[in-house]
Parts: sequence; structure tokens; C-alpha cells
Amino acid sequence: MKPPPFRYARCATPADAVTLLSEAGEDAKVLAGGQSLVPLLNFRLARPALLVDVNPLEELAFVREEADGALCIGALFRQVALEATNLGARWQAITDAMPRVGHYPTRVRGTVGGSIAHADPAAELPLLCVGFGARFALVGPAGERSVEVDDFFLGPFTTAVAPDELLTRVSLDPPPDGAVSAFEEFSERHGDFALVSAFVGLALVDGRCSWCRVAIGGVGPTPTRVPDAERALADSGLADAELGIAADASARCCTTGGDVHCSAPTRRELVREVTLRALLRARGRLTDRMGSKA
Amino acid sequence: MTTALVRTRAPSVGLALPRVEDDRLVRGDGCYVGDIHRPGQLHARIVRSQVAHANLLAVHVEEARAAPGVVTVVSGSDIPGLSEKRIPIRLSPGQLDRFALQTPLALDRVRYVGEPIAVVVAVDPYLAEDAAEAVWADVEELAPQLDPVPGHGAPLLFDMVPDNAVATFETAHGEDVDDLFRHADVLVHERFSVHRHSAAPMEPRGLLAEFDDDSGRLTVHGPTKVKHFNKRVLADLLELAPDRVLLVEPDVGGGFGPRGEFYPEDFLIPWLAVQLRRPVKWMEDRLENFVALNHSREQVIEVAMAARHDGTLLGFRSTGWCSLGAYVRTTGHTVPRLAGIHMPGPYPWRGFSTKFVSVLTNKTPLGTYRGPGEVEATFARERALDLVAAELGMDPPELRRRNLIRSDALPYRVDTGAGSEPLVYDSGDFPAALDQLLVAAEYEELRRSQAARRQDGEAVGIGVACFFDQGGIGPFEQARVVAEPDGTFTGYVGVSSIGQGVQTALAQILADELGVDVDRVRIDHRDTDSISDGTGAFASRTTSFGGSALILAARKLHEVARARGADVLGVNDGEVTVEGDEVVTGNGRSVALAALGCEAAATFESTHVDFSFGSAVAVVSVDRPTGKVTVERYLGHYDVGRAVNPLIVRGQLDGGAAQGLGGALLEDLAYDDQGQPLSTSFMDYMIPTLCELPTVQSSWSEHPSSGNLVGAKGAGEAGIIGTLAAVANAVADALAPDGVIVRSSPFTADRIRALLRGSDAPMSVQPSQVGAG
Repeated sequence: MKPPPFRYARCATPADAVTLLSEAGEDAKVLAGGQSLVPLLNFRLARPALLVDVNPLEELAFVREEADGALCIGALFRQVALEATNLGARWQAITDAMPRVGHYPTRVRGTVGGSIAHADPAAELPLLCVGFGARFALVGPAGERSVEVDDFFLGPFTTAVAPDELLTRVSLDPPPDGAVSAFEEFSERHGDFALVSAFVGLALVDGRCSWCRVAIGGVGPTPTRVPDAERALADSGLADAELGIAADASARCCTTGGDVHCSAPTRRELVREVTLRALLRARGRLTDRMGSKA
Repeated sequence: MTTALVRTRAPSVGLALPRVEDDRLVRGDGCYVGDIHRPGQLHARIVRSQVAHANLLAVHVEEARAAPGVVTVVSGSDIPGLSEKRIPIRLSPGQLDRFALQTPLALDRVRYVGEPIAVVVAVDPYLAEDAAEAVWADVEELAPQLDPVPGHGAPLLFDMVPDNAVATFETAHGEDVDDLFRHADVLVHERFSVHRHSAAPMEPRGLLAEFDDDSGRLTVHGPTKVKHFNKRVLADLLELAPDRVLLVEPDVGGGFGPRGEFYPEDFLIPWLAVQLRRPVKWMEDRLENFVALNHSREQVIEVAMAARHDGTLLGFRSTGWCSLGAYVRTTGHTVPRLAGIHMPGPYPWRGFSTKFVSVLTNKTPLGTYRGPGEVEATFARERALDLVAAELGMDPPELRRRNLIRSDALPYRVDTGAGSEPLVYDSGDFPAALDQLLVAAEYEELRRSQAARRQDGEAVGIGVACFFDQGGIGPFEQARVVAEPDGTFTGYVGVSSIGQGVQTALAQILADELGVDVDRVRIDHRDTDSISDGTGAFASRTTSFGGSALILAARKLHEVARARGADVLGVNDGEVTVEGDEVVTGNGRSVALAALGCEAAATFESTHVDFSFGSAVAVVSVDRPTGKVTVERYLGHYDVGRAVNPLIVRGQLDGGAAQGLGGALLEDLAYDDQGQPLSTSFMDYMIPTLCELPTVQSSWSEHPSSGNLVGAKGAGEAGIIGTLAAVANAVADALAPDGVIVRSSPFTADRIRALLRGSDAPMSVQPSQVGAG
């Protein structure tokens, strides 16, 4: 459990990082918080020739709400900082999820961009991106480009970030006014990667569901929206039966087979249950909001 | 004046003194083997088999030998006479062991993933690991044998071991079991299985060996637990005189049974240091630890149990199969043998028979782990008892209360057949202890609350288990007590410190016997030079045996001091007494022991074995939709004989329970169908964190042991023994309305969901198979 040899370089600017990455070709890896990369190095599952340490890029450690309401998070923003940020009700899924991202000590070092670029199929932050919808800013030799979430997560541990590109920030799409969101996951122990996780976003207009998002994680190569679930909820009154139909649709979306922790049938059952709990939690939040406005 | 002081000195045994070890350890001032460095030291990396079962045709080391920084690479054929260097067993031999002992490197066959096939030695641990990747083996893969209950035609690990059954242990007691079954009102029959899991010490193993050419002595830092045995084995395998070998115990991050046994590395690293004439260091990493350290627990146990309508237990028959892994290691067949011994438990059976088989499997070898065999037997017996209770419609604690051996029947002797030592349960009050636990748990209130929560649709269960903790195994322990010139006393002991508070508890015992303050007493367990022999730290024996040896040595020291003191004071022996740190005459003249330069050694010997009673209650809730089991409460009550240091006792009991709960709920050394281990990191081998554990409430009674001078019984293992059984019974109780039968551990969400789906179908076993043969 000692890494194979690698070179190490610290960069002073994002352009620096891009230059270093370009020179190294396919053999370079960006080192941010290191909470996933360093164990991979120690297991010798990753063998980069060069580590480009982006920790000096303090300008990428920020969170801000844009004029259009989008939540823009710098890639170097530490997970523990996002956890401590006071976000509005519609971003509540983030508040739900952050304490479940690893353990407190790993969140102190772990970054938002690092977790997203690592793209573990069971990780919380990629699911939030898929659930809310997101755009990712990538800086490369030709300058900056923006990638939509549908084109970003390509497979397990695989994203649209090219070997010579650096993820600098993510912008989560703003949910409509009055919307709520919720996150649920199931793991055997606190802090483990989720066996399954679910994101739900809801808004009501005149008692009918005007906006809904259902996304699940840990159940396939990437986190994924569940269109059948969203269709079941759209324009509905969010009655128990409709929530149940949406949860069933989620379970059908689960393509992951069994592994040491969970057999395939159990995973499908968990997807249904976790989705249902996220739906109930989100609906409860809507009800609370209605109550407080009345 | 001195006399008066001594007479008012309060004994320190029984006081909850803070551990003298802790101040240093919590400040980060501990010295673990990784902290020891020697000039010019080299670093070893073990190359391990990647396949579970194969003929080993060749090991190619040439490329690795040429790698940067490499000093040497050694495979089995490079060590002269390796085929004769088989690691011997220390405990519990079996019938066919001689065919199934492990050589430190594989020779012509590999039998588990993780088996050492070569060692790389380099100037730097990173370079050693780089070079190890360049070692490769030609293998001819064989079908793996992974089943603890192999069918006919299963692959053989050793041609000379038919059916892979390397040892069988049988016990029989009392009346004919078939006859008892025929006259029973209730007969239950079930097959239970305990999954493979083991200790996960925070600090993996490590060794640093150095050979001094001038003195011709080999020093090895790192072995703990049974260092005198390991010294003899090492000297024998290296063909060195025993006095040329010194084993030194550093601080260790957790023992729990597996650490400190003699493993392949315990030969390889010293052998390399002797060959290379340079210090060689090896630090086990976590990936290695999961395939190299002894596994434990994996057993299948079938039980048939008979009772009368009124709950009177009549007899049982059990057959067990223990998945022993690929080789018989130093602890031999302790695990299945103790399972057999613990099947009867604290109940007065009119007759029983047990048969336990050690089955070789292509997995990491299995050895002892805190509560070896006792955990598994308790699980099977107490589960079967709950099935009897269910058949009778009787509350489970009531069934136990009606049957537990009464205190007026103690000592209670169980003959277990020709050639077996009888089991003697000597002291305690078992029914009173169970009642005390149930009161502490507010059992009646628990049942009322359970009924209310069931009404609300919750799955809540209460599980009870009773058991014995077998502690204080002989045959002997040594101690040497020295009156130091500075007025302090040093007690050298042959037992080891694996974190149990040896330096504190033994100091309390020694201080009381010497009649001095505990802070003037120091315990030294560090090496094999300062004391000539010892048995070691296992079987909850360090306090009872180490303490008894210290008491004998202290008494002898006083004899020596009286003789010398009388001489110095110019009086007869009979005219002096020892009062604390002085020899005094009747008229008040005195000389300090410190000035007399005296010391004494003694050996405490005993064949007595304590069976101390314990009981446990677990309250669990099961989240049916996800299958998640939450242990809400866990209480245990134990007879510890004498609590030398209540703080340490509590730590041991609570810690044992926490470790047991992890094993019951989460920890699983799973393998795939090719014998590849699936749990080789803490991401997959899930030890519990505080988030997963309930508050553990441990309490104890003190019925002193008659078998040693301290009165202590086991406390180090007591806390873990009932965990699996109590949690299993609680889970079964929680899911009783769902009509499922709980047979197999662990109780992960996935297993519970499988139970609720009905996919954990009962194994088809014919009653005639039970105990047949």
C-alpha cells in the first residue's frame, strides 16, 4: 500500500495547471483534496506519472449565488465549507447530503470539484449535480468551455474532463421559486459510500406539481434522472399512490448487479425505499412551507 | 511507626486506578515496531499468491532482483531445507496435522490468496513494493475447496488428508441421546452458520530483526502474545541455540488473539537478517493484514435439542464443521475444540454428544480470536434454546431460568468421555446473575414497550443469551521480582501486553502482596531475556496467572529479604519481619530492601480452568423496508471472579461487546466462488464506528476463582461471547411476526432483506445426519 513512483508539481494559476497537464499527456492527475486519489495511489489502482497539485488555487475556493439564482461553487471549495454554508430552502438537498459525504476529517480536505471529477457512481455530489442540473466550467489549452450535466458524467469514474483540462467550478441550475429539495441515502455505516441514494426536487402551483426532479445514485454507471418517476409526479397532487408509482419507477431504473455488500434484488428494494423516503421528505417540506405561508 | 503505616495501607486491588500505560500512549509517546529504526536497515516486502489453489511451477525473481534498490529476492527454493521448516502448533493438536503445517514460503503448491511465495528486500519500502510487482509465478490453477461442509469429490488440499477433514473432536456425556430424544415432548433441529470474521487491530503487524555478529545474537522486535514459545520455534527453525535469540515486545495496537502467533513472516524476516547481516524490517500493510492475519469464526453447527413440556432440557446432539483455512496454524484446532466444549453451556443436560470437524479450505488459515469457538457455540445453542422456547410458548429467559445449574449444585462436574478432561463449573450463582441482568434491563418493561411498538408496526426484538467464559488456561506462568536500589520494585513477567492494562493491574496485585504503594511498583513484560520462560497473553489468563506468579515471587522475595536482613542486622531470621520496603526487628531496627539487593523468581502452575458465567440482553429494531438492524441497547452481566481494576474490567467488557456487535452486524471476510477475498480494506470490511454502536451497559459480580491466587476469572473475552447469540435472538424475536427463522450471521441489511423475501431457505438436512458417524 505504497504508491508507485510519480512526479509532483504545484501550480500557481489555473493556466499553470493546464500547461503541466498538457505536457504530461494522459499520465497526469489533478491532486485536490486527495481523499479518493491518494488511496487509489496506495492501492496502486491509479498510476499517474505526474500529480498536479491545485491546492494553491485559492481563487477556486468559493460559493456564490448568481444573478439568475444558480449556485456556483468553486472546484477547490472544501466539502466541510459547503456543509457549513447557509443555503436556502430549495438547496436543502445539499444540506441533507453533505454530512453524509465521507467523514468529517475527509470533508476537511475533500473538495467539491474533486468529488465531482472523481465521479464515483455512489458519491453524493455528482448525484446533486444530476438532480439539480448543472454546468461545469473546464479550463484547457484553448481556454474555458462549459459542459452540461447530461454530457459530463460518462461512466464510472469517467467524465468529460479531458486529460489537459481542469474543472474550475460548477453551477447548479436554480430550482423555481418555492421549490424544495431533499436527499436520502442508505449505507450500512455512517460515512460509507451509499448503497443507493436519491435526490428529489419538487414545486407546487395551485396544488399540482409544477416542477419535479427525481435522480438516483449508486445504481448504475453514473447518477441518473428517472424520467418515468418525474412523469408520474408531473402535474399530480403528490398523493401517496403517485409517490409510490414514482418510487417503483426508480427501482426499475436500477441496473447494478450484486456485490459483496448488496445483492441485486436488495438493491432494487433499497432504491424504491430510499426514493420513497426522499419523496416523502420533500413533500413534507412543501407542506411545511405552505403551512408557514398560510 | 513503619508498622502502623503498613497496617493502614489500603489495598490497591479493587481500585479503579487510571492505567499507567495511557499517559504515554495518548500523548503519542508509545513506541511501536514502526517507530524502531536501526542504521542500515533494509525493508522486506512479501509477495503473495494471487490465486486460491494452484500448483506452483516456478517463481520468477530475476527481474525483481535487478530492480533499483533491491538487495535480494528469495523464493522457497532459495531457503535450504525449507520443506522441513514447518511452523509447529502451540495448542490443540489434531490427528492429521503433520500433513497440513505451513512452510514460511510456498514450495510446490499455493493454497490461499495471500500465501507468501517470495520476499523482496530493498533499501527502501517503496522500492521493495515496486520490485515485488516484478516477481511472477507460473501456476497451474486447481479448483478451490471453499465449503466448510464439503461434499464428496471436493478438491483435496492435501492428498494425505481425506475429505479435507484434518481433525475431529468428540465429546459425550450422560444418558443416551437417542433415548432422551425418544422420550422428549419437544425436539428442535436446525443448522446454524457463523460467518468468517476476525480481529482488525488498528496497528497491523510488524517485525524488525537484527543479528549482531559480535555476540552472535539475533534480536527480533515485534512479537507479542507468546514470546517465549515464538523464541523456541524461531531458534529451532534457524538452528540457533535458544540463548542466541532475544524477542522484544514493543507497544502494540491491538491483539485480540491473532496478533503475535508465529506466522511465516516470523521466520522469514529473522532468517533474512541472519543471512544478510543487516537489520531487516517488515511492516504489514492493511491489504496484507486481511489475508495474512488469522481469520476466525467460520463454522456451521447443527443442533438437535430435546425438552419436556415444562421446559426441562433433556439432551442435545451437535455436529460442527469449522472452515480451518489452508493450513493448521499455531493455535491448532482450538476453535472447533472449544466450540465442542462450550456447546452444553450452563445447563444440566442429562445427556449430550458433540462432534466438531476441522475442514481445510482454500482460504486464509483460521486461528483464535477473542472468545474462540465460545462465540459460535453460544450462538448455536442459545438460538436452539429460543426455538425450544418458541415450541413451548415460553418466554426465553424463563426457559433458561428453569434450567440453569443451581448454585447448590456447584461445583458441577461434566464428564465428557474417555480421554477428555471433565469440565468443572466451580462457582457463581447463575440464576441470580441472570435475574440481576434482567432487572437491570427492566425486562418486563422492555416486553411492554415491544408490544406497544409492534402495535405501531415496528419490528422490535429482545434477545437473551447465557454462556460460559473459559479463562485462565495453564499450565504455568513465571515472575521475577527485584527490589531495586532506588526503593522501587520491578516485577518481570512472562505474560505479554497486548493492550489489556497488564502494567497497571499486575502492579496493583504485586504492590498489595509487597505491602507498598502501587506507584513504587513497575511491571516489565518486554523481552525474553529478563525472564526465562512464560506462557503468554491468551485465554484471559494474564491477570490470574501473571498475578499469581507475582504473588509467589513476592512471597519468596520476602523470605530472601528476611534472611539477608537478619544477617545484616545481626539477628536470627525469626526475629525479623518484612514491613513494606523494610526488614524490621522487634525493637525497631530496620534495613531497607533497597539496600539488600534481593530478588526472587517463582512459577505458578495450575491445570484449573475457570468457566465463569455470563449473560447478555440485546434490544434491536429492524427497519423492514431496508433490512437495517439497529442495536438499541446491549447489556451484559459477567462473573469476573475478582475485579482487580474496575476501570480496566469495564473497558474490557464494553470493548468486547462492541467488537462482538461489529461481528454480528457488519464485519464479513467474504470470498467469491474462486476463493478471491472480497474484504481487503476497511471500505469493505466494515468495523463499527461509534455511530453504529449503542451504549453498552456492562456489570459484574465477583465469585472468586479457586484456581489461582488472585481470585480473578476471565474478563478480556467475556464481553464478546454472548453478543452474536443475543443479537441473533433479538433479530429473530423482532422478525417472529414475519415467520422467518434466523440461522446465519451476519445481520446485514442485505441478509435481513433476503430473509424477509424468503430467499434464505432452510438447508435440507436429514435428521439422521445429525451427529452420525
